Amino acid sequence: MSLEARIADYIATKMPEASDIAVDRLARISGGASRETYRFSLSWRERGAAKSRALILRRDPPASLIDTERRIEFEAYRAFYRSAVPVPEMLWLEESSAPLDYPFFIAAEIEGFQAAPALLWTEPYVPSHGKLAERKWTILGEIAKADPVALGLTTVMSEVAPDACWSRELGYWEQVLDEDQTEPLPIIRAAIRWLRANPPPPPKSIAVVHGDYRTGNFLFDTAGEIHGVLDWEMAHLGDPLEDLGWSLNPVWSFGRNLAGGLVSNALAVSVWERSSGLKADPGALHWWTLFNCVKGQAIWVSSAKAWIDGGNREPIMVYPPWALQNAQDRAALKVMGRL
Amino acid sequence: MKPNVSDVLLELSGLVARNAAPDIPPADRAGALGLTSALLAMASRTWDDAAHQLVIENRALRKLLHVESDESDFRISALMAENARLRARLIDCHIEAEASDPGLEAAIWAELVASTERRLSPGSPV
Repeated sequence: MSLEARIADYIATKMPEASDIAVDRLARISGGASRETYRFSLSWRERGAAKSRALILRRDPPASLIDTERRIEFEAYRAFYRSAVPVPEMLWLEESSAPLDYPFFIAAEIEGFQAAPALLWTEPYVPSHGKLAERKWTILGEIAKADPVALGLTTVMSEVAPDACWSRELGYWEQVLDEDQTEPLPIIRAAIRWLRANPPPPPKSIAVVHGDYRTGNFLFDTAGEIHGVLDWEMAHLGDPLEDLGWSLNPVWSFGRNLAGGLVSNALAVSVWERSSGLKADPGALHWWTLFNCVKGQAIWVSSAKAWIDGGNREPIMVYPPWALQNAQDRAALKVMGRL
Repeated sequence: MKPNVSDVLLELSGLVARNAAPDIPPADRAGALGLTSALLAMASRTWDDAAHQLVIENRALRKLLHVESDESDFRISALMAENARLRARLIDCHIEAEASDPGLEAAIWAELVASTERRLSPGSPV
């Protein structure tokens, strides 16, 4: 049975009032190294009327660039739906492998916008950089000031004490490096030693951390508006500066020596502070920016390991380590003031 | 580069062959071949000077670490294995230097910066 037919059969169990359910134009979206992502059109009849909707399927792959819990991703999206943080509507989460071989979720597609960073340096997007940056770090500030308890996320995400945020995250990603590195990483190991010797102060309060908030993980238009924040698979509770530091990781400068390839670090931080109502302590932000160089390298190394072990031989698993591993080392050197 | 270039090229040859089949959905084919093209371009850029850069780096590391070893096998796989062995020793040496030898520590940092220059590819974001 085709994947289209299996998706249609699954959705039929979720829409008992619908008839003539059909899935068309199923297409894999490039990227999606942590989940297989497909777009498709769903059509059905309901109370005599023909209806259709553009949907997204996010399915676990055999081996992933990052190991994440799909329920956490699903609930993070759902928590921010119809808030100041634009996200697509989540529809169904399936944690069994029976319907489509691997767990998955289905969401509404936000149509008509772009996510590819390369487009930003072309017309007609270039004039929108200032506005886009304003929106990017304003939305990140909204995530930082959101109350995880009120959002219901403390029931699905592991709780962490403020003074344990840094050690939990650093310990996790160092362990990923220990398990997955296939060659010595002297620069990143030096960065880890510095991070352990110079821990940051604890945050004033625990926040929702998106975990991968960067140019490329949101949908934008030509006017600099953001219509959807995507890829919440690494969302967790922690220090809000973690997300800000990831957004300032120099590998996301796209060679333009600007935060996210858009504006200066100082401007990005000031927008975030105004939006979040928080103060980004420079020393703490430096720690989290360097930490994110370690985290980035762990992700690129894991991607290489998944390919080498044969769990996932997709070309997308090779591209990050080849394109970004040396750049991530240079980013760490730059953050440490050695480049 | 990891995964090894030779292993990736072999895998890509199979991928290209599979995508020559007429029943591959166009969107899947476009995705697979687009990334394949990018990877082939990256492999081609490293091909010519891969061995040269590894020899230079391994010699620099031996000098820094005061070690000698046989240099007779110039296959890239052998040079990479030697490079990994030396860089593992460099990490240990770096830890010791941080505690007691600022001069050596500075020399190690200089070598680490140089190592990223050797690996620099066109279009690198940093």
